[in-house]
Amino acid sequence: MMSTVPSELPVTAPIEHRFDPYVDNGGTLLSIAGKDFCVVAADTRLSEGYSIHTRYVPKSVKLSDKTVISMGGCYADCLTLTKRIQQNMEASLVAPMWYRHAHGKTMSTAAIAQMLSIMLYQKRFFPFYSWCILGGLDEEGRGAVYTYDPVGSYEREACRCAGSASSLIQPFLDNQINFKNQASERRELSLDQVLRITKDSFTSATERDIYTGDYLEIFVITSNGVELQKMGLKKD
Amino acid sequence: MDALVSKYAHSSASPLDSSEGFSQAGFDAAQQFALPMFDIPMVSNPIDFLRAHTDPSAENRIRIQHGTTTLAFKFQGGIVVAVDSRASGGSYIASQTVKKVIEINPYLLGTMAGGAADCQYWERELGRRCRLYELRNKERISVAAASKILSNMVYDYKGMGLSMGTMITGWDKTGPALYYVDSDGSRLKGERFSVGSGSTFAYGVLDTGYDFDMSVDDAIALGKRSIYHACHRDAYSGGSVNVFHVKESGWEFKGNFDFDKLHWDYQAQPKGQIV
Amino acid sequence: MEYNGGAVVAMVGKNCVAIACDKRLGVQAMTISTEFKKIFQATPKTYLGLPGLATDVQTLAEKFRFKINMYKLKEEREIEPRTLAHLVSSTLYERRFGPWFTEPVVAGLDKNNNPFICNTDTIGCINFAKDFVVSGTSTNQLYGMCESLWEPDLEPEDLFETISQALMNAVDRDCLAGWGAEVVVITPDKIITRTLKSRMD
Repeated sequence: MMSTVPSELPVTAPIEHRFDPYVDNGGTLLSIAGKDFCVVAADTRLSEGYSIHTRYVPKSVKLSDKTVISMGGCYADCLTLTKRIQQNMEASLVAPMWYRHAHGKTMSTAAIAQMLSIMLYQKRFFPFYSWCILGGLDEEGRGAVYTYDPVGSYEREACRCAGSASSLIQPFLDNQINFKNQASERRELSLDQVLRITKDSFTSATERDIYTGDYLEIFVITSNGVELQKMGLKKD
Repeated sequence: MDALVSKYAHSSASPLDSSEGFSQAGFDAAQQFALPMFDIPMVSNPIDFLRAHTDPSAENRIRIQHGTTTLAFKFQGGIVVAVDSRASGGSYIASQTVKKVIEINPYLLGTMAGGAADCQYWERELGRRCRLYELRNKERISVAAASKILSNMVYDYKGMGLSMGTMITGWDKTGPALYYVDSDGSRLKGERFSVGSGSTFAYGVLDTGYDFDMSVDDAIALGKRSIYHACHRDAYSGGSVNVFHVKESGWEFKGNFDFDKLHWDYQAQPKGQIV
Repeated sequence: MEYNGGAVVAMVGKNCVAIACDKRLGVQAMTISTEFKKIFQATPKTYLGLPGLATDVQTLAEKFRFKINMYKLKEEREIEPRTLAHLVSSTLYERRFGPWFTEPVVAGLDKNNNPFICNTDTIGCINFAKDFVVSGTSTNQLYGMCESLWEPDLEPEDLFETISQALMNAVDRDCLAGWGAEVVVITPDKIITRTLKSRMD
């Protein structure tokens, strides 16, 4: 067999048939919408199995003065997806022109949200292994949170947690943000209250989830733009 | 400037653009009906690849949201559509506030069961095609034709892992119409359908209380109650009940009813006569 | 665990402990009963929680009732919660290679009224805790809730509120648990048992 291939290439090397391009790099992200603000928070740990590759890798990226995207799952897929969103915000989808140059404005949060859904579905048969949460302000200046599954089904919500500790944090948010199982009526929370709940969520989750920890990055989106806060988490 | 930009972007972005599945600048009639392009993994059997990574036993499983109860039925006053609002990934409740009725246009409704993304995406694409039909033919598309467009679109992907069980309802020249369309390629016309993991429970209540000549209010109450009972017994259904009424002037949203409140309201009511 | 569903949680307070469970019995997706008992009184001041496969829950509940009664007859005193934990552990380990599908929780006050809680895995490895223990299908959700709501030295009424909120919000994010809840708060002089109205979906 080898003689039929006239080259020095190692053609006898075994061929791997299983294609396994996904790893779970862990990490937790959450976003909470307020009356005139939005909070997007994520830890910065990047792990694989029982080992931590890096303690500081941001999961959230500012897309515009009104929108921040946060992603967890397979970090390679998240990087690619973030890059593609940024490309598409420059180059429009329908015509190969730069969106900003074609329309004279940056994409709104709602437009990015719909675009991300289509981008994820474009890979329906070879999905991005990523949980996405898009946080920002809508056209009226109210807080908006859009959440996605890996193949692009999306929904606008008041608050959402995704990633490795989502099942730990989400019931707490239901209770504290949406006042579930509480006698008191749902009321608007101030930015300070939301920030406190966010920090509490992550310190609690860090105690029990090994994929969450190190540092917490909190993006606060208001009409004044995007502000980044950092906080230390447990490193064990 | 614009001409320069479009010329530059046109040539350099073409290969990337086609892989992203978006059409080129300028109108091309054939492209309007072309199926969208999807990225496919470069392996010998892409279908097995997707199956392996969405299987419950997969190491890094891609969980596609599932679990539902939806129903729609015809009666003298049109059609009532009622759905729950829960999305679950495994036994974890991912959301209690999903919109499972997709408003295709003011006269057409689609329901969502199976893969949430599949339903959202294809019914959005259906909406686009129905709008194009309207522009070309200067009249609204019939429900029969709309449901067939959807059925044909997903049939092209049969066996590739799409998961969709939907009811397309609306009002056209022939009156109210109701079709069941799924990702296997079935398309059925009918009077009464329920789809999803809780459909058996919903059918039980629906069939017991159904009467073609019932009033609009009774029909809405029946739809609500059927979904309520399914939510109670089926673990993967719940959240709240969304009800729509399809009539000659188009569909109308009849409200979102939280399950918790419905349950205690129903408990307080005297039990109805069945026998 | 996933076949029938169900969740149990126990917490320590100031001179008191609380144990709570949901009331669902299901067969996979279908809810069969909303009045299924998962916590059992072992002694006047000790409770045993048994979430897991329903047939094993009932069999073990009877088995432990028998063993606890035999202990009382032989020793002429009530079994201590710590002793009960070891009894549970060794009973489960007897089935090391064909285990009972349940993860028991023990909660009670010992003879000096000191709080005691613990849980074990399906083959009897004991986990002693000073704060809270969780078990069943909603463990992730319960850990998240307990970790953020629990604080040391809660009085009985505050402990009741804390454990109730923890359980109800946790099972509301779990398809397989919920449909009502039962809470028991054990104090030196009384046992407070309450059933909670919760979401029935």
